[in-house]
Amino acid sequence: MNHQPETFADQVRAIPGGEHLEMCYSCGTCVSKCLIQQKVEPEYNPRRLLRMVMMDMREEAFQSPTTWLCSACDLCYPACPQQIHISGVIGAIKQLAIEAGYESPLETVTVDESLCSGCGICVLACPYEAPHLVEKEIAGEMDRVSEVDANKCMGCGICVAACPLGAIARKGVSNEEIVRQIKVKRQKKGVPRLVTFVCDWCLRADDDVSLLESYPDNVRVIHIPCSGRIDPQMALLALRSGIDGVLVCGCAPGECHYKRGTYVSSCKITLLNRMFEQMSIGDGRVRFVQIGTQDRGRIRREVDAMLEYLAAWKEAR
Amino acid sequence: MAESNTKPKFAFYWAASCGGCEITVTELGMRLVDAGDLVDIVFWPCAMDFKYEDVEAMADGEIDFCFFNGAIRTSENEDLAKLLRRKSKVLVAFGSCAHEGCIPGLANLYDAESILERVYNTVPSLDESRGTRPVPLSKVPEGEIHIPSFYDQVKTLAQTVDVDYFMPGCPPVVDQVWNVFQLILSGQLPPKGSVIGADAKTNCDVCPRQKVQSGMRIKEFKRPHEVELDPDLCFLAQGVICYGPATRAGCGLPCIQGNMPCRGCYGPPEGVVDQGAKLLSAIAALIDTDEPEELQSIMDSIVDLVGTCYRFSLADSILSELKYKKR
Repeated sequence: MNHQPETFADQVRAIPGGEHLEMCYSCGTCVSKCLIQQKVEPEYNPRRLLRMVMMDMREEAFQSPTTWLCSACDLCYPACPQQIHISGVIGAIKQLAIEAGYESPLETVTVDESLCSGCGICVLACPYEAPHLVEKEIAGEMDRVSEVDANKCMGCGICVAACPLGAIARKGVSNEEIVRQIKVKRQKKGVPRLVTFVCDWCLRADDDVSLLESYPDNVRVIHIPCSGRIDPQMALLALRSGIDGVLVCGCAPGECHYKRGTYVSSCKITLLNRMFEQMSIGDGRVRFVQIGTQDRGRIRREVDAMLEYLAAWKEAR
Repeated sequence: MAESNTKPKFAFYWAASCGGCEITVTELGMRLVDAGDLVDIVFWPCAMDFKYEDVEAMADGEIDFCFFNGAIRTSENEDLAKLLRRKSKVLVAFGSCAHEGCIPGLANLYDAESILERVYNTVPSLDESRGTRPVPLSKVPEGEIHIPSFYDQVKTLAQTVDVDYFMPGCPPVVDQVWNVFQLILSGQLPPKGSVIGADAKTNCDVCPRQKVQSGMRIKEFKRPHEVELDPDLCFLAQGVICYGPATRAGCGLPCIQGNMPCRGCYGPPEGVVDQGAKLLSAIAALIDTDEPEELQSIMDSIVDLVGTCYRFSLADSILSELKYKKR
């Protein structure tokens, strides 16, 4: 085989995932589905990126935020009338960009090599195959530690939660930074204190997002990149500090921005509640809700229901 | 024993424990004879004939160092913990029971009443229930009989008295016992509250088994007896929950060398508050499915969740704290 791909589009098509490139007729349905365009980066536009490839605009495509910000949540995939697996095409473009020397602009995780024991939990936890184990010299000795490919890491923090000894951190949402936020002011008797962890992606409606700013000080809202970032120790620390309840909000199944974070979180909170039951303290004070992109107004109902439940729980004590 | 006055005074006591900690000390073998030359053993009820009155008669701080093994389960355990704290300059929580509650701590899954009911009335091995129960005070024609009272909650030593150092392990491995013994005699002690006789990282750091590769996740958790275990491959890669990722290194991996997963007795690594919650967080991240029903069945395959995640650390966990918090 000595045939060399000639155009940029040929190169993209040659990479698994990039095959369906030219099926795109630029309708823009993908853009209307995309949360990144709405929440983070107005310039984000898969339709335009695919067009750039067709038009051989190599450097522009490599510099486009679309190439780097797509987390393969695949909300656009079932909506595409041409059934193009758009994240696969974007992944192919990203691979070429990395080969051409471009780097991801995203905030990614870092490993503290002096702590990392090389257990490989992060390797299995990551939805993007970003961490891998390497043998390297640390403080004069060969050691096996985790190394994260910054171009693959999407910064979801699932590995940060999974790491059993807190050796992984992401700026802004390290263990210390989150635990520091788990505080709710003392309230008048009977007023429940609630900590709500909200995934940055599960709320689509602006009303729902702005609602989070308007809660009184008995409800502490902590923003996290993904519900998979939560580890059960955080919920336990909250309850230990005297906070009455913990509500974790993540994406609906199949809509998780980081593919598997909502499943991981659902497992953790379910298992934690099973532990509470086994300890005869199963009182429903830690909840996980999965909010879909169509569930406008759901967050208000969930928080209200939780507060009502906690008020009754306090009353009954 | 007149010449012994210049030697450091050493005490070794057991509270709610199995006796394994005493056995690990006797495993010192000939080094125990050396130890006998280095210290003056002033209290070791398992091996030598001392009475509680002998300890009470000592001046406060007279004992140079005390290894206290066992959890705090009865009023007697608590009384002796307080007495030995008062009489000892350095108090070491020796072994997993004193450190974090260990197997006796699993009793925190229940309460005192249900345990006594089970043991004295309903276990199948009882011929017939006589309805007797141990009570702290019994009046008999000859007078009163006092026995220790049985608490509702199993506590660790540090939940009961101020502890200077923690030595993990169920039991601590013998070489680490000797290391700690020499460390204390050398006087080169780390800051108060430190874990001694163990490493800072986790068992995975020293485990020689082949690690898991990316792309491999878990569809079913199996217990060690349900699977023929590959002696060279990481247990987690075989779907068997291994406590190695969440357990402090220092034991030398006897279980893993015996082709059994780490059970977690060396406690959490530096910086972890709740060992079970961190293990739970790690294993939940390995579950591989996006089907709600399959998700349930994978979670169901973890038998005895609390016992699995908190096998040695339940008494020291936030779970126990929440259960027994004064309401």
